[in-house]
Amino acid sequence: MPLISVHDLHFSYPSAREPALRGLSFSVEAGEYLAVVGANGSGKSTLARCLNGLLPAPAGAVSVSGFDPSVRAERDELRKRLSLVFQSPPDQIVSSVVEEDVAFGPENLGLALPEMKRRVEGALKFAGLWQERKRSPRFLSAGQQQRLAVAGALAMEPACIVFDEATSMIDPAGRASILELLDELVHGGCAVIHITHDMAEAARAGRILALSEGRIAYDGESQGFFARDDLAELGLERPQAMRIASALGLKPIPAESARALSARIAGVSATCPELRAAAVAMDSPAAAVPVAALDAELAFSAENLVFRYLEGSGDESLALGGLSLALPVGKSLALVGATGSGKSTLLQLFAALANPSSGSVRVLGIDPSASGTDLRALRMSSPLSVQRPESAIFELYAGDEVAFGPRNQGLKGAALVERVLDAMDAVGLPYGAFRDRASRALSGGQKRRLALASVLSMRPQALVMDEPGSALDPGSRAGLMDTLFAAAKGRAAFVYSTHSMEEAARADYLAVLSSGRLAAFGPPSELFGKGFCADWGIARPFAAELAAELRALGMDIPIDVLHEDQLVFSLQGLRAGADPAVGLAKPSEPGAAADKGRGTAP
Amino acid sequence: MKNLEFFRRVSIGRYIDRDSPVHRLSPLGKYLWLLALIVPASLVRSALMLAIIAASALALALLARIKPGYLLKGFLPVLPLLGIAMAFQLIFTASGDQSPVLVTLGPITVTLREVGSIAALALRFLAMMLSLGLFTSVITEGDTARGIEDLLAPLSYVGFPAHALALAVAVAFRFIPIVAGELESVVKAQAARGSDFGAGKGGPIRKARAYLPLIVPVTIRALERAEMLAEAMEARCYRPKGRSRYVVHASGTLDTVARLGAIAYCAVLLIAAGRVAW
Repeated sequence: MPLISVHDLHFSYPSAREPALRGLSFSVEAGEYLAVVGANGSGKSTLARCLNGLLPAPAGAVSVSGFDPSVRAERDELRKRLSLVFQSPPDQIVSSVVEEDVAFGPENLGLALPEMKRRVEGALKFAGLWQERKRSPRFLSAGQQQRLAVAGALAMEPACIVFDEATSMIDPAGRASILELLDELVHGGCAVIHITHDMAEAARAGRILALSEGRIAYDGESQGFFARDDLAELGLERPQAMRIASALGLKPIPAESARALSARIAGVSATCPELRAAAVAMDSPAAAVPVAALDAELAFSAENLVFRYLEGSGDESLALGGLSLALPVGKSLALVGATGSGKSTLLQLFAALANPSSGSVRVLGIDPSASGTDLRALRMSSPLSVQRPESAIFELYAGDEVAFGPRNQGLKGAALVERVLDAMDAVGLPYGAFRDRASRALSGGQKRRLALASVLSMRPQALVMDEPGSALDPGSRAGLMDTLFAAAKGRAAFVYSTHSMEEAARADYLAVLSSGRLAAFGPPSELFGKGFCADWGIARPFAAELAAELRALGMDIPIDVLHEDQLVFSLQGLRAGADPAVGLAKPSEPGAAADKGRGTAP
Repeated sequence: MKNLEFFRRVSIGRYIDRDSPVHRLSPLGKYLWLLALIVPASLVRSALMLAIIAASALALALLARIKPGYLLKGFLPVLPLLGIAMAFQLIFTASGDQSPVLVTLGPITVTLREVGSIAALALRFLAMMLSLGLFTSVITEGDTARGIEDLLAPLSYVGFPAHALALAVAVAFRFIPIVAGELESVVKAQAARGSDFGAGKGGPIRKARAYLPLIVPVTIRALERAEMLAEAMEARCYRPKGRSRYVVHASGTLDTVARLGAIAYCAVLLIAAGRVAW
């Protein structure tokens, strides 16, 4: 008997027009590793909640170890066997002490103290948090908090753990530690269902279940799934490793590491002697510009910037510890670094929403803390789009929400309409179709776009955005970044933070933050190339990582390769004996290779 | 520019980790001592008795190795209110005040009884603030909730939801920083779009309107996050009855003595208060 069996599962939310799930049937064996993928709104989270009875599935549709979540008496037995780990780490922590939080589940089961102690110790040691057991969860990093949630689930000694986008809100280092934990769980015989937007993560599972509009679009081995031509229609994409492999005519392998792929590429190249012969000495086209030497006008500058939260109280904490950088007018800047490294704080200072504790910051050439500064006007010319900006939406209708900013600028009538129309059209929510739509009824991706339109409608001089693409599916995410880069053209600056190195690589400059200090600043090609340092706590974009591995194997890959199309082009160029410099001097849009890759069957 | 920071005013649950006899008390013992200090401090009228209570709280603070100055610092914002109350005592003379007049300043006369009242007011304030500050410094968030459950445990025999109340307290603690964080994020988002909260010109209606862009999203987000927490708890089989406890406080002799001591202290003070006139 399978561990989980789902038979013709339908589900509709009471107020929704369309059903969320329309007849799902599948089963999961004990110890299986399954990834569930699909665009925003395809029904993934609804499925997870139906599996353990948080949402009422129809009787007989779901069975876990023979228990039916629709039967009240069986629900607790089912939940003991199937645990859930959610997206947002702080929203699943109940207690104010780490070990007490892990004990929450066992307490609910009414277990005896010795048994609870055994389980808590086992779970905390497994999650690598035994040392932290007496601390308050709020002092843990996001990755540690999520590992705490895993420990809490594990203390129930379940047969299966469902991870509902559990890696989407944490930094790359925390994410890697969670993924390792998943592998160990599977290794230990626990079944894992991993709901994710990240295709490289999904490819780690042996089996993929793809949802589209509440139906199963695919259920089977990952190899077969990523060979499909219609991934873009599902709002998904192939992992980069597979795209690069197929562009080079190699067999794409799911979840292949940069090192493994580089060995295969080098293996093919070894039989192809002209590859090595075609060594071309290449200089980095965008050589690092020393910050001090920039005498162009500056959009943003920070000098010895220090910022402390809760200054003067017992809980004072240092967010920025003496940071200096300068961004010339007309450039984009990506901020990367671990959670708590100071990215959001710096963005707030750039948006004139906070005062430095010491040091100085200049926003569009103006010192926000100087007396006489029109702070309101400055904030509106360099407005911050906060993390999850859709949570600040308050107007009933989409058009009014977008009009809020321009109205505060004093606009009325035709001028106001023009602003709203332009902004809504720019983010792909056409004014005509969307102005009278209820803001709350929009989908997650549409709400994000609406929130961004309500910043663009002020015609700001600079765009300052905190993780603009987070928690969106790959299709919406890439589209959103394209929109933002298009909107940033002609403005003084575009500054954004991100945990995605591929997104970071699109900026003109990259600032690596570490514990409130600037670890590195320069063009991405430089920092992800020869200037890369493993101590920064960030990864390289996959293409840059692969390029580095290939160079380590003695191949002549230019040092500034960042995007997969550059890499593929240079490898093809090497193979053809042509001069790859032609292609590299003008990198095409990063999306181009993705389209090439998608069309190619293995 | 004022920093748009909302955590600053959140000062509940500032546990100070020290190894002291006071810290080692069970949550129930700490609650009983809090009540033993607070109840007489609010009922007693005598300045002498209030001074004794304040001194007891001070002694306990020293025993807990916590600086009294730190305890009082958190209550500085309330001082203006205290000042106003004192001024009222001075300006308005109670009818039938026969006590001797000490000083006369124009229309204001200061009588002995007024001085006594003002001293009592200040001492009452001091005693209560010291007791509350001490309590929050020696009890962890978790114990705050568990203590309520223990304190009300006798009532649960008659159907009072002691555990549910304790959980509500625990969740409220969890939600203070969460709601403050949401508020901060929304305030920043709206400030970036030109909102100025309360700082703008115009009448009360316009000022109230400026808060509308905050109330709607913060309420929705707080409810959403409450739902997330509820889901996470439900997924971990939460039920109010039939739970066991991971944190068990050994109720040793010291604790029993402390509990009885609290009750005796409170009783003696209340009885004595009826006999002391000033």
